[in-house]
Amino acid sequence: MRFSDFTSYDLILLAQGLGTNIALFLVTSLIGLLIGLSWALVRFYRVPVLAQIVTFLSELLKNSPVLVQLFLVFFGLPALLHIRVTPVTAATITLSANTAAFVYVIAVSAIEAIEREQVEAARVFGLTRWQVLRHIVAPQAAAFAVGPLVALMVNQLQVTSLISVIGVVDLTKIGHILNMRTLKPFVVWTAVGLLYYGAAKLVALLGERLETRLRAHSAWRGL
Amino acid sequence: MLKVENVRKAYGEVTVLDGVDLAIAPGEVVSILGSSGSGKSTLIRCINGLERLNAGRITVDDFDVSKPKELAEARKRSGTVFQLFNLYPHMSVLKNITLAPIEVLKTARPEAEAIARKLLESVGLADRADAYPAQLSGGQRQRVGICRALAMQPRYLLLDEVTSALDPEMTAEVLAILAKLAAQGTTMLFVTHEIEFAREISDRIVFLDKGRLVVDLPTDRFFAADGGRAQPRVAQFLSRMRKD
Amino acid sequence: MHFDLSILLPHLGFLARGAELTAAACALSLAGSVVLGALVAIARTSASALLRRIAFVYVDLFRNVPFIVQLFFFYYGLPEFGIYIDAFTTGVVALSIAGGAYASDTIRAGILAIDQGIIEAAEVSGLSRRKIFTRIVLPIALRTSVRPLGSVLINMILTSSILSTITLNELTGSAQIVVSQTYRPFEVYVVLLCAYAALTYLVSLAVTLLHRHLNRDMMEAVG
Repeated sequence: MRFSDFTSYDLILLAQGLGTNIALFLVTSLIGLLIGLSWALVRFYRVPVLAQIVTFLSELLKNSPVLVQLFLVFFGLPALLHIRVTPVTAATITLSANTAAFVYVIAVSAIEAIEREQVEAARVFGLTRWQVLRHIVAPQAAAFAVGPLVALMVNQLQVTSLISVIGVVDLTKIGHILNMRTLKPFVVWTAVGLLYYGAAKLVALLGERLETRLRAHSAWRGL
Repeated sequence: MLKVENVRKAYGEVTVLDGVDLAIAPGEVVSILGSSGSGKSTLIRCINGLERLNAGRITVDDFDVSKPKELAEARKRSGTVFQLFNLYPHMSVLKNITLAPIEVLKTARPEAEAIARKLLESVGLADRADAYPAQLSGGQRQRVGICRALAMQPRYLLLDEVTSALDPEMTAEVLAILAKLAAQGTTMLFVTHEIEFAREISDRIVFLDKGRLVVDLPTDRFFAADGGRAQPRVAQFLSRMRKD
Repeated sequence: MHFDLSILLPHLGFLARGAELTAAACALSLAGSVVLGALVAIARTSASALLRRIAFVYVDLFRNVPFIVQLFFFYYGLPEFGIYIDAFTTGVVALSIAGGAYASDTIRAGILAIDQGIIEAAEVSGLSRRKIFTRIVLPIALRTSVRPLGSVLINMILTSSILSTITLNELTGSAQIVVSQTYRPFEVYVVLLCAYAALTYLVSLAVTLLHRHLNRDMMEAVG
């Protein structure tokens, strides 16, 4: 086997790997956000049976390792349903569901942080559940939820590194490939680590900006 | 002797102590009176080393509190009782009292516990030795605080508004103990709002106004119309306090 | 579609040994994290600006780099410097360092929450800085940190599944082996998922009990 040194092309490889992580992160975050919020709606409307299922699913996904969830979807589902699942598809499904579980919990606690009296007062005035949600609960809950959501996003970005284990060619996988070729694990893994670090910091920074924007907006409204 | 010499203490722009001189001889009971913000608590906190001086000197039996090596010795000779008790919440009453004697004075545990139990008995808490601070009333906690300070056998007892956080009934129980200590000859320096009490047990009363020591007289002279009361600030203060 | 849990029965013993390894790794790593976390918390509240900086960088770095990358960095990188340690030890080291970053935050919060007056009382009675720390500050801070440290432990249990990627046969690694022997990935991974969820539930119950026990004397009596 021939071992070679680093080339400038490696930088492109690393960037592509990080791009894969970021792309998956963005897609699964969006889907997870939508699913998680819809689960919170189910809970808000106290839909029988469905609300319990949703809570159970969320607890299960939150309290089990993401790696095992990935294995279940990538190895388990095909065996059970006799279908083919690509690594990327499995990763998308798993990470979306995992994100949804955490979004659900954040949304529920944000909604519960709003004093019950406000909701009761609104209902007494004749507002429907939907109107209460739209005008009273949602804006305030959103303000409460932004901080925890940003922290969640930073975490979920790092979680995407696990997709390398089921074969997706992300930054971690590229790290393996470079390591195999150059046999310089210290340099390779430090570079990979710093790239993930940079991406995480970027997400945190953007999140902070968003938070101050929203806070300024609601402060002006006299919330 | 506890000597405070020309002490100055400022927080940024605000001068809290402005050239204070005070001397306490062993056996004396001295009260410090004054309005809020006059610097009374700060003076105590300078004596026990919680605050650093900007100028001047404080010595406890000739140990200079501004010198780190001498501060430890100075602290061994003084004991402080706090307004908010400051008991260690995770330790029993007995442990609260014996911690410093065991760790600092290197007293053996059985001896330290015997001293502690005797002190608790003298304040009427002999049966609460194994209780925890959270289970005690305010008055009881302060009595433990007094025992904790006395366990170190200090030469000077510093008391910083020790009844201000207590209701009238508990205040009375703590004041009774302090009166007993004074009668036994304990050297005490206290900051208090309890003027009647100060008048009863102090040898001397000192009045602080805006960081300056305005009056320093034996008790009866302090309350005399031609003595302490001759000072306008003192008269004003006393009449205001009498109103409540 | 075929779902049959009974095929797992002959392998339960093997899986149990994997679970033991997980438990051992997590117990050791928890101890390591608490010790490291306490040291870092002290550094972050110390008077030396250099110590504060180093501690901050450590926490920031290890909270923003994915664990799998940290693990590979130690597992593949250390041999490059002539340090050869087995997979279990590497795993414990990596988990301790990662866990220490989170533990230090909770312990630091516990330290900062201590009433200043209590420290002052200890100071004026002549106790040395070290004694104040070991007899007053740490015992109180640790008592109040039990719940957050419990979260760190739960997180660690889930993260330990990643140790399977460095050939350690803890619970997830053992499950993978069982899959290769039974060809039933769905059943195995579903059970695995539930096993982790059950484990974390039990741990959170234990943590609540421990918190109550340690803090029983510090709770205000009613009235």
